[in-house]
Amino acid sequence: MKKLTLILTLIAALAASGLAQTPAPTAEPPAAPAAAPAPAVTPITAEDIKGVSTPSAEDKAKGDADGALTGTAADIAVADSKAGLTITDVLNQVGKNRMGINFVWTLICGFMVMFMQFGFAIVETGLCRAKNANHTMMMNFMVYGVGMLAYWVIGFPLQMGGVGAVANLGGTAPLSSEYTINLFGQAFGIFGQNGAFLSTNGAYDVGVMVMFLFQMVFMDTTLTIVTGSAAERWKFSAFLICSLLMGAFTYPIFANWAWGGGWLATLGAKFGLGHGYVDFAGSGVVHSIGGLSALAMAIIIGPRIGKFNRNGSPNAMPGHDITMVLGGCFVLAFGWFGFNPGSTLAGTDLRIATVAVNTMLAGMAGGFSAMFYMWIRYGKPDASMSGNGLLAGLVAITAPCGFVNPISAVIIGLIGGLIVCLVVEFMERKMKVDDPVGAIAVHGGNGLWGVIATGLFADGSYGGGWNGVAGNVKGLFYGDPGQLVAQLMGVSVLVGFVFTFSFVQYLIIDKVVGQRVDAKSELDGLDIPEMGALGYPEFELKTY
Amino acid sequence: MVFAGLVVTLLGFVLSVSSLGLTDSVNARMGMVIAGIVISLVGIIGIINTAFLKNAIWKK
Repeated sequence: MKKLTLILTLIAALAASGLAQTPAPTAEPPAAPAAAPAPAVTPITAEDIKGVSTPSAEDKAKGDADGALTGTAADIAVADSKAGLTITDVLNQVGKNRMGINFVWTLICGFMVMFMQFGFAIVETGLCRAKNANHTMMMNFMVYGVGMLAYWVIGFPLQMGGVGAVANLGGTAPLSSEYTINLFGQAFGIFGQNGAFLSTNGAYDVGVMVMFLFQMVFMDTTLTIVTGSAAERWKFSAFLICSLLMGAFTYPIFANWAWGGGWLATLGAKFGLGHGYVDFAGSGVVHSIGGLSALAMAIIIGPRIGKFNRNGSPNAMPGHDITMVLGGCFVLAFGWFGFNPGSTLAGTDLRIATVAVNTMLAGMAGGFSAMFYMWIRYGKPDASMSGNGLLAGLVAITAPCGFVNPISAVIIGLIGGLIVCLVVEFMERKMKVDDPVGAIAVHGGNGLWGVIATGLFADGSYGGGWNGVAGNVKGLFYGDPGQLVAQLMGVSVLVGFVFTFSFVQYLIIDKVVGQRVDAKSELDGLDIPEMGALGYPEFELKTY
Repeated sequence: MVFAGLVVTLLGFVLSVSSLGLTDSVNARMGMVIAGIVISLVGIIGIINTAFLKNAIWKK
């Protein structure tokens, strides 16, 4: 206990030093020195364009070993070959290049997030017993397709159908219809209405396609979290229905409120609460929704047979492959470089460098604090909890990654690693909730912590105009308590509304279809009863 | 009991949202929102989960 106290003291000291390096700004910034006279601006004329020399065909025919001849004025697309290169051509090319950079950036980051499905799949499967390997892997595999189709038909329009034009992607103007209600004299955005099937009301649009792909893989990340908490006892048919509903309704509704122009995002502009609810890449939107839905499911479906003794004390049920677990954590840590920096939706936003560094720092800080917590408390540096600590740090930094400095990122990650250990213990020992992979602690606990951390640590260096509010985003420690209130409002909506919404859905499905397999199937392992084939047919499996 | 737990959990959310209309003070809103979160957590941990634990599989 003394060692733990020492660690917490060190963390507090680090926090204090970090904050001291960047003192909170006073209410009014110091007056700027008198502005120097602006240099005379010479507009580009048609004559300038005509005078630009381009590489000759002879030079290019010799080859361009150092790249000096490639990417010149000769490579700009010309609208009218007879008129030659014009200023309009040049300006159009500039705009096209900016959009091209942003499109490619966002798409590649989206592909990386899609690859995280593999990371989740092997982490969860490795943490489960070998007799359930096929079943666990199949849930993680099929959740991708089920969620995607539900999102394509219903979820995406509900979430983003009213977001309006996203400047970084140029062409999402067709997503312009938000359903609102009037409350407290203000319009509250509730859900979007355009974009169904990516075909209606102008949604057959390149910018909309980029937005869909990036948001879809985020949504699928949320869905796969629940498969972890219900693993080793979830009926496959019930899993399909639950995932369908989550991709169609649960995720998109809160995501609309936070990212799609809904009411949480407008708390700043309409009620003076900072910049409104701010969630850079989804600690709340993605991870808390997944974690709280996972909690709802774990309560309803109940613990695995043998997890708790008659006196309520828990038994350890170790996974079958720790190499898969830690390998999967590395895959996820890599994918997070798409998750967080990609959320700028712009490769031209150079804040991506800070976002990426914050992400890697917080992740491994979480891994360290979880490892040391387990080492001090139980005598060994537990591998699975170290992996979960890494994920906890990554989840926690997901919301604040764009708004905080690297010192704050490390603090957030260190605390995240402790939270995951404490929440796992609380779930098992106090709530008697069985979560085979620690999904509730990693995503629920740290998702909420990430949302709150944004309201505390945002340092006012980024986020100008975010959610339609002038100035950069500042948390409580940098002078804006209103931002913390907006973040806490998001937490309340997640805990009070999202949990309830998920719980009611799962309870109805439990009554109609049944969430849990029978006891014999559970004891035998779900591979044969549910999937018809063993994950490891040549292994001798334990059935305890 | 489960239904009561759901009502209490949702009540916390309603309390938080109602702070937007009841006061303009940032501190008062913060207090109401924190109270809303606590009420929702009581609903989840104290009522819903407790109700499910009464018939937990490991007690049989």
